[in-house]
Amino acid sequence: MNTIEETLWNYIDGNCSPDEQKAIHTLIAGDEAYRLKYQELLKLNTEFSAMELDEPSMAFTYNVMEAIRTEQAQQPLKAAINKRIILGIAIFFVLTIAILLGFVLSNIQLSAVTVATPAGLKMPEVNTYFTKPVIEGFLFFDVVMALYLFDTFLRRKSQPKEI
Amino acid sequence: MQSKLSDIALIEQTLGGNQSAYTDLVKRHQRFVFTLAMRFAKSREDAEEIAQDCFIKAYRSLAAFQGQSKFSTWLYSIVYTTAMTFLRKKRLDTDSIDDENIYIQIENNTSGYDVNNAENKSRSFYLNKAIEQLLPDDATIITMFYKGELSLEEIGQALGMEANTVKVKLFRARQRLKEKLERNLKHEAKELI
Repeated sequence: MNTIEETLWNYIDGNCSPDEQKAIHTLIAGDEAYRLKYQELLKLNTEFSAMELDEPSMAFTYNVMEAIRTEQAQQPLKAAINKRIILGIAIFFVLTIAILLGFVLSNIQLSAVTVATPAGLKMPEVNTYFTKPVIEGFLFFDVVMALYLFDTFLRRKSQPKEI
Repeated sequence: MQSKLSDIALIEQTLGGNQSAYTDLVKRHQRFVFTLAMRFAKSREDAEEIAQDCFIKAYRSLAAFQGQSKFSTWLYSIVYTTAMTFLRKKRLDTDSIDDENIYIQIENNTSGYDVNNAENKSRSFYLNKAIEQLLPDDATIITMFYKGELSLEEIGQALGMEANTVKVKLFRARQRLKEKLERNLKHEAKELI
């Protein structure tokens, strides 16, 4: 049930429909009780609107920005560095090396290459080092490492991001 | 000019790495945020702590602000939750404001002030005193409505309530504020109101 006060506050705040507004307007014009209450509430409304805001200390803004700066400075370097920059640098080096390698390989004339070994130098027999068990062991190690890295990658991906 | 930029433009600049844009945002909203914090904390030191905390939290989650509501509405919701957390931490007895004994203490303070500083009596003084005596929720809704330039819907968004609930709460808060004003001013209230 709407009291006179509630109805009048709605009218003052502009929360009434046009029909309601018209009806209340008529009531204020014709009914003394409504008119007096309306004037009282209107004065209160003006009073409340004139409420003053409090002022924080002079150093408030500085303190906020300083706190933000301190927080950023305390961030671990890993989180502060933009991953795109790292990726960009990596792409630059890979491209440079690839271009250089391509240039060098395209300019080599293998037929013109003659390797002159010094008279007393004995070249080691590579075949003695790269035996079947060594190659198998190496491949096994590679597979284990690849599985370990893949597992780490999946674990990191499934972890929820911190807000 | 930087100060003429909208909140959204300042947020974009801040996200682009321009920290001075955030300084402007803080300067623009600090008075209102501090006033809201004062509605909960009652001491300037605590209110500054709450307000500062709000701006830091807002900075941290600025990228998450999607611009669907006004920045001020979003910021005031942070103020509200931060202040509520602060109150919980401090274990302030918010209901005690309505306690008659406490009220008498506040009233005595006011009357003491009246005797010694009669010349300082002003409308805003009495209004501020009355607001201080309100429950934090009432004081917040009244402050948001009259000084925050927020609609009932926006206040509802900031406080996590329906607009209709805000409307009812605003009505009750205004009634209580009027009562406090009248009690504080006693006979003078008649002149003021």
